[in-house]
Amino acid sequence: MSEVKTTPPPPPAAPPVPKEKVKFLWNDKEIEAKPGSNLLKAALDNKIEVAHYCYHPGLSIAGVCRMCMVEQEGVPRPFPACNAVVTEGIKVRNDTAQIKAAVEWTLQLHLVNHPLDCPICDQAGECGLQDYYMKHGVYDSSMIDKKVHKDKVQDIGRNVMLDAERCILCSRCVRFTDEVTVTHEMGIVNRGDHSEITTNDSLKNYYAQNLVDICPVGALTSKDFRFKQRVWFLDDVDTTCIGCETGCSVKVSFNKNDAYRVKPVFDAAVNGYWMCDDGRSVYKHVGRADRLVTFMENRTGLFLPAIEKEVVGKLKEKKKNFILSTDLTNEEYAAFFSRLKGESVNVALYSLPEHKLEDGRDFDGLLRRSNKNANLKGAEAAFKKAGFDASEAALQTLVNNLKADDAIFIVMPEVVYNEDHLETLVKKVKNAGSKVALTSNEAFYFMKDFDYLLPLPTFLEKTGTMLNFKGLERKLNRAKNTWGEASKTVASYAELMFGE
Amino acid sequence: MKADYDNYTLLSYHHIPDVHRLDVFESAGGYEMMKQFVGTDPDKIKEEVKASGLRGRGGAGFPAGVKWGFFSKDRLAKKYLLCNADESEPGTFKDRYLVETCPHILIEGMVITAWALGTQRGYIYIRGEYYHQALVLEAAIKEAYAKGYLGKNILGKGFDFDLAVHRGAGAYICGEETGMISSLEGKKGQPKLKPPFPAIKGYRGLPTMVNNVETLAAVPWILRKGAGAYKAWGTEKSPGMKLFSISGDVNKPGVIEVPLSIPLNDIIEKHCGGMRNGKKLKAVIPGGSSAPVLTADEVLTTKMDYEDVAAKGSMLGSGAIIVLDETRDMGQVLKWTLEFYHHESCGQCTPCREGTGWLEKILKRGEAGHGKIEDIQLLDTVAANMRGRTICALADAAAMPAQGMVKKFRKELEDYIVRG
Repeated sequence: MSEVKTTPPPPPAAPPVPKEKVKFLWNDKEIEAKPGSNLLKAALDNKIEVAHYCYHPGLSIAGVCRMCMVEQEGVPRPFPACNAVVTEGIKVRNDTAQIKAAVEWTLQLHLVNHPLDCPICDQAGECGLQDYYMKHGVYDSSMIDKKVHKDKVQDIGRNVMLDAERCILCSRCVRFTDEVTVTHEMGIVNRGDHSEITTNDSLKNYYAQNLVDICPVGALTSKDFRFKQRVWFLDDVDTTCIGCETGCSVKVSFNKNDAYRVKPVFDAAVNGYWMCDDGRSVYKHVGRADRLVTFMENRTGLFLPAIEKEVVGKLKEKKKNFILSTDLTNEEYAAFFSRLKGESVNVALYSLPEHKLEDGRDFDGLLRRSNKNANLKGAEAAFKKAGFDASEAALQTLVNNLKADDAIFIVMPEVVYNEDHLETLVKKVKNAGSKVALTSNEAFYFMKDFDYLLPLPTFLEKTGTMLNFKGLERKLNRAKNTWGEASKTVASYAELMFGE
Repeated sequence: MKADYDNYTLLSYHHIPDVHRLDVFESAGGYEMMKQFVGTDPDKIKEEVKASGLRGRGGAGFPAGVKWGFFSKDRLAKKYLLCNADESEPGTFKDRYLVETCPHILIEGMVITAWALGTQRGYIYIRGEYYHQALVLEAAIKEAYAKGYLGKNILGKGFDFDLAVHRGAGAYICGEETGMISSLEGKKGQPKLKPPFPAIKGYRGLPTMVNNVETLAAVPWILRKGAGAYKAWGTEKSPGMKLFSISGDVNKPGVIEVPLSIPLNDIIEKHCGGMRNGKKLKAVIPGGSSAPVLTADEVLTTKMDYEDVAAKGSMLGSGAIIVLDETRDMGQVLKWTLEFYHHESCGQCTPCREGTGWLEKILKRGEAGHGKIEDIQLLDTVAANMRGRTICALADAAAMPAQGMVKKFRKELEDYIVRG
């Protein structure tokens, strides 16, 4: 493993090509693309469906699945489109009888040793083999011989499960660990139809779940997701990961009120095709059983549901202090501060402490960052605009000046990396007469001295924007789930407290 | 003893005792061409080889001079010359005989080629099973270094060329030039996607010329006697002399050097002493195990040159002639062949990875008594659908003998598959 580099390369960028475009014909359809760009990508970008397994725009070309074969006028033999480049005026076809037969047969050969265990496979419903079979196959298999059997249930680490039998050896996973994480953890051993993918030890990189995404079949599945849901029951919502300041574009899959998985969405500006493993679990609090969904009051150590009017009535006359978290949307900050106009109130910002990466760095060169505040930039801007101080010193001043007739409202961070740090803050507000926690998460043990717990929506239940580490606007979209009273935002609570 | 340049090109030295020794080789006339041509105009050497029409002797038969023409013209750029001595096609053992008896003919050819192409470093990739031959080559290279024929400033002409032997680990696919390059790079021996071709981007991503042992060893003779003399043998499209390795049911199997276009029947009857034990000829596999089989009738009319063998639906390949007599079961011949290709498929491209195993299973199922008459058609269809759809030619190498056997010996195959 002497080749392991300490700094992985930046997210894949398109090779520099001249700006002007060329035109070429794909099945008589005129397509424009940059000269020298990948022929298969040009077709896919123009919404032409071309069967392929091994090609992935974020990885190098392997050319091994042999599915994207095309014919070109003036070229004697068919060739894979993934290994060709676009030049002016070429005439390419993949709808001839010869190519259709080639695709159908190559697909049949892909399935010769495939176990066809779709009923128990998590990939079913979004599997390349199933999709292409319905489109290009639909034959009765001529294979009646005994299939080659390989190891089915292999835990290869980092929540990734390997079923070597289902693997079609497209080598995407091997190329991912070679080229993106540069950890060289996956490889193909043995020859011929005994070839199988394997790891030298177990996966140790922090991007391993991407292997599950790029696997076109059910060979690599996520331990977190498998056997939980059938994918055809899931709806996706495109949103932004709130796991750290990078702000990767993601889609969260949910069914009814529960979220089940997070997958990256291609975004050239931020995350390319990938996301980190930490971000895969940001959905976990959304559907958890002990999530706070109603107003709760502390009755001598026991939290019981409370009536909104009574809670508001008890808090209204007190002097109010707010500590906001850094994972609210820009719109929430704006609405909150606009409601405060003319009121006498203290507001401070609690930002999550730096969470150093395993090797002590702040940034691993790819996506992971030690600053876990999803919208710190947006919060600071909103504080500044409203004339409040977002600094750590201001937070300490607010905490130190709390008195017995004060009410303190703490907006709990959605994703908590360091509970001890949060607990330290919580302990410091003991002087306040009324302590209120606003949370979209569970009730942490250190909240036991609080007087009231009020529910907040999670990032999946709001539409809005955030600013990531470089000040780029990231969009959050609302999923179609509801969590009772948890629809009240921070601004709604401000309205309740200061309204008539 | 002097070399016999009039009747042989590659085997001109092989009758001389101890010709593996540099002094014996040199006194017989060896290294003369190297001394004469290293330092002269490289283009003239390339033109001479191109004019000779010498075709790559590894199996594909691509004209060597044309291949050299694709190579980087920048003499100062770092480039490699690789000699393919992997010789893994079953039935082929010509390179083995060539280098174990006379290793210096290859070294001389490589030094001249290196000078012509401007490569500074060369490797002889020899198959792992050729342990003895690798030792012979290494000893010869050591002698050549001591004499100043290899290394820095060869013959005082300011030309550097280093040569080393690299042993393979026993994979058939490492005889494919890009598979060989992968293996040499220390990777798994898997062919690389083309384009780019090795002449542009090969070993370690640098321009690399890969030639077969026989091709490189022919260069000194072509320079000695001229392209015209070389073309006097063979046909317009298949000029020159060729080594054939003959195995199977003949009285005198072995390696011979004869002009191309020699009748196949002459090779069997004249050079190999006829069929063994007076048995009747049944079939011949003319170009290594991947070549489709020829029937006894076809053998009588076949001339051993690239175009005539191709016209008969087979190929000259590496010149490995496997002779089968009437006692041979063609089903079994095909089974062993397919078993070999299944075992050797690198597993990269789907059609080959899955197809080679499937073909073998169909035959073995038949052998076990579970065959059906439709299996013959299935065999043909699967084989047809493996061809031309993979990175390298291994899928074709497995499919061609299967299709050839179905075409030429269908009846016998039916007996084998259906009746076990």
